[in-house]
Amino acid sequence: MHTHHSVFCITPPHMLQEIVRNGSSTQRDLALRTLITSEQMRGQRRAIKSVAAFMGTAITAGDKQRSVYDAKNDSQLPGTLVRNEGDPASTDPAVNEAYDGSGVTYDLYYDIFGRNSIDNKGLKLESTVHYQKGYDNAFWDGKQMVYGDGDEDLPPADRLFNRFTIALDIIGHELTHGVTQHEANLAYWDQSGALNESLSDVFGSLVKQYQRKQTASEADWVIGEGLFTSNVNGVGIRTMKAPGTAYNDPVLGKDPQPGHMKDYVRTIEDNGGVHINSGIPNHAFYITALELGGNAWEKAGRIWYKTLTDKLQERSTFQQACDLTYEAASELFGANSLEQQAVKKGWSEVGITVGGDAPTGCLSAILGVFGISARAEK
Amino acid sequence: MQIIFERSGGIMGLKSSLTLDLNELPLDQAGTLRRLLDEANFFSLTENPPTRPTPDGFQYTLTVVTDTISHTVRTSDTTAPDELHPLLHELSQRARTQGRLKA
Repeated sequence: MHTHHSVFCITPPHMLQEIVRNGSSTQRDLALRTLITSEQMRGQRRAIKSVAAFMGTAITAGDKQRSVYDAKNDSQLPGTLVRNEGDPASTDPAVNEAYDGSGVTYDLYYDIFGRNSIDNKGLKLESTVHYQKGYDNAFWDGKQMVYGDGDEDLPPADRLFNRFTIALDIIGHELTHGVTQHEANLAYWDQSGALNESLSDVFGSLVKQYQRKQTASEADWVIGEGLFTSNVNGVGIRTMKAPGTAYNDPVLGKDPQPGHMKDYVRTIEDNGGVHINSGIPNHAFYITALELGGNAWEKAGRIWYKTLTDKLQERSTFQQACDLTYEAASELFGANSLEQQAVKKGWSEVGITVGGDAPTGCLSAILGVFGISARAEK
Repeated sequence: MQIIFERSGGIMGLKSSLTLDLNELPLDQAGTLRRLLDEANFFSLTENPPTRPTPDGFQYTLTVVTDTISHTVRTSDTTAPDELHPLLHELSQRARTQGRLKA
């Protein structure tokens, strides 16, 4: 969890560097921490390192450590090490995509949110490619990212998926599961699980937008673009802009995501529909970002990041996510700021009112049978 | 012998399922499945789902019914024993091409 030292937030970096050089030890600690975490220092890693060198402090912030392993179509993790940090590019595109994609994801978290890797302590980013045979999936196993090759073992005419490293936002999605595990640790079922999924889509999408230098209105907000082969009628596995419209295909069926609470899906499959109902908070983020304009990571991203790291808890609900992003927006940008109003609008458009009582997940369905309505826990 | 297979979860949250009656399959295909069940030592496997769900991981439920026994194993990619993976792969692929995917 981060401690927020508001006094340093508006202080220009050069002044912070002066404080590091000349301040008391407490002031130095605060200033140094702020230098590292402040978005004012984005792109100025060299300056941070020079300050660190001046201080004689062993700071490794900004030094990403990546390792890519090859499972060679087996299921043993992590597999054989094939590329370490600083190694030249491989001839295997999956290896390079995993390496570069985890690098861009690290950069977004570090440059924009001042976060040093998954655990904010410089944890090594480990990825395994070529997991199993015909493995049409990617996952986070609690320690590392794992990617399959799609359905490469089927005849080309039957293939639905390409290799899973092909989409940068999928890499950002998996790595973000690690960040969430180290922060809010949202339980992976029902609404807390759907929030866990949504945060992975939000930051995965931001990684893609950050790499492409796109504004909220320029971005396509599609998750997993390029993952489907040309045999599939679809643009990606999800869309934050228009949940429920990413694909409509004879084999895969129709994208089941709702974009509004009135269409909330009550199910016991998929840990209570964690990949389905995530469409609702996904769309709330999209609306907020679009409302604010510019690069989505600048404002909406910062609000969601603060909510993930400082506010959400293991069993948080959609209603709580709404209220807590609203609170975070106030802390970052001021009460009744445009930013806070945009957050309110984002959630309102998916049917969740700030301070309201949106129904919770499966429990509400069970109670509903008895005519009792479940409310979000406060 | 009947095999009832279900795979759920994954990054898309899609469920795929498949029911096979080995007596109705061509002999070579039924033979392959029997061999994979033997190699997995299926009837002595205990259930080994993960203690907590793996984000985006698949969960598998596999039931085999014979004249005398019905045995179910619930497992995941990260907790399945090595010997079971070839069978899970075979059934996943069959489910993709013959079965149905749905949310």
